Amino acid sequence: MFRKNIDEFMYYVPFLKEVIRKDFKKKYHKSVLGVAWSMLSPLLMMVVITVIFSTIFKRSIPHYPSYWLGGNLIFAFVMDGATGAMNSVTNNASLIKKMKIPNYFFCISSVTQHFITMLLSLIPYFAVSFIIGVPPSPCMFLIFFPIALAYIFTLGLGLFLCAYGTFLRDLSYLFNIVRRVWMYITPIFYPIDIIPENYRFLFELNPLYVYITIFRDFALNNTMPSERLLIVATFYSILTLILGLTTFKEKEDRFFLYI
Amino acid sequence: MIDITNEAVEIVNPVINESLRTGDFYDDDEDVCVDVRNVSVMFNLSKNREEGLKEYFINMVKGKVGYKEFWALRNVSLKVHRGDAVALIGRNGSGKSTLLKTIAGIIKPTRGSVEVKGTIAPLIEMSGGFDRALSARENIFLAGAMHGHTRKYMKKRFDEIIEFAELEKFVDVPIKNYSSGMVSRLGFAVATCVNADIIIADEVLSVGDAKFRMKCEERIQQMLKGGTTILYVSHSTAQVKKICRTAVWLDKGMIVDMGNASDISDKYMQSIRQEP
Repeated sequence: MFRKNIDEFMYYVPFLKEVIRKDFKKKYHKSVLGVAWSMLSPLLMMVVITVIFSTIFKRSIPHYPSYWLGGNLIFAFVMDGATGAMNSVTNNASLIKKMKIPNYFFCISSVTQHFITMLLSLIPYFAVSFIIGVPPSPCMFLIFFPIALAYIFTLGLGLFLCAYGTFLRDLSYLFNIVRRVWMYITPIFYPIDIIPENYRFLFELNPLYVYITIFRDFALNNTMPSERLLIVATFYSILTLILGLTTFKEKEDRFFLYI
Repeated sequence: MIDITNEAVEIVNPVINESLRTGDFYDDDEDVCVDVRNVSVMFNLSKNREEGLKEYFINMVKGKVGYKEFWALRNVSLKVHRGDAVALIGRNGSGKSTLLKTIAGIIKPTRGSVEVKGTIAPLIEMSGGFDRALSARENIFLAGAMHGHTRKYMKKRFDEIIEFAELEKFVDVPIKNYSSGMVSRLGFAVATCVNADIIIADEVLSVGDAKFRMKCEERIQQMLKGGTTILYVSHSTAQVKKICRTAVWLDKGMIVDMGNASDISDKYMQSIRQEP
């Protein structure tokens, strides 16, 4: 059974590449700056956010632009990726109705597409960090770890949402609200220090806080995150992926009735 | 769950013998590449469009009142042999496309099982899943990838496909600007070039012009000789007789009769003429 799934996956790898290529092309179709928007839009947002918040959090957060940019980078990827995956089956209905392609490939392609966008926005992130004088360190190379964990988490979340969102279109509206709430409960533009010490454990229940903290530790603070945090992060990713995959597999046979 | 109508098969087809219904139409020792066993497919007509929370709660309160089952296929059994050309005939809504989609693995049967040996190139509703915003060039790579072919492999076959589809001048035009004939030409060319073991052709040849149709028939004959299996839906009895050896006649989701292509199509035509 497991072997069969691997074979199936390998068979459709060229398809995955083509679909990602296609979606990228279509995303920036007819825009003058094209892919550059993936890098420009977080930068523009950064300027706005920095102007608004850096005076408030000046003391507690050094290198505020990088602080926000790094947090937002991961947050936006997880949310955009999950939303994209949620709608991926519905959006590819015409293809799914005509070809036999494992449905989860559309989730993977959607998440991967947002992942590439995120990798691209790492370029302006490091450019900004360099300009505002974040000391470079070998620790920075370790950011691939929280990024990879965030990818796995997003895929799991996306598969889970897609399994239900295909039946119930309202879910995408609902998730939009969840996204907004999630943004405020995750320390993206504010420091964790403003939360009283004895409530901070609650934040560790939020996978996004965990990934973002690990990312910032490596890329900004030049420190090793606590082992506990690393284990919790890995646990969240694997658990979410298993949950997403099992839910998806259970529901996908009935997708064709709803698309 | 309503048990599906075994007795309905008997009412409609008192003439069919037991072997036909169980699908043992051929001897078992031959090389079977598609084995459809007692397949039934149910669509849920009202629940089908339950896409919002409101509808969901309404249905929950009502206790699924207005829940309407529609059986697109009932107890269909069918065996197809390697290198055979099988035509599916029947009126609109008789379940031909549903059967093809079930064989292609796009629809999972509500009951029964489908076993397929080999790869399938489905050509359903003319195009095998083209993206209308993309050009022919990009669609060829995309379609090839759906059959597990890399870009490198498709590059080798690219010229052959374009030449066969006669689209040299329109390679980089988005196919949304194509005529339906052009799209079906491209679809046919791609499907026949990806080296699939089984080709599913759902009314593909109905839109091409006479010249192209001839070319397609030639290509089909060539592939049949090479051992490719073809499942073919057409409303043209002449074409069915010309291309296919076997025909399966479907009506209201059930197999009415199957056997020699020309006999079955004659019977089918006769029954249509007799209908009021």
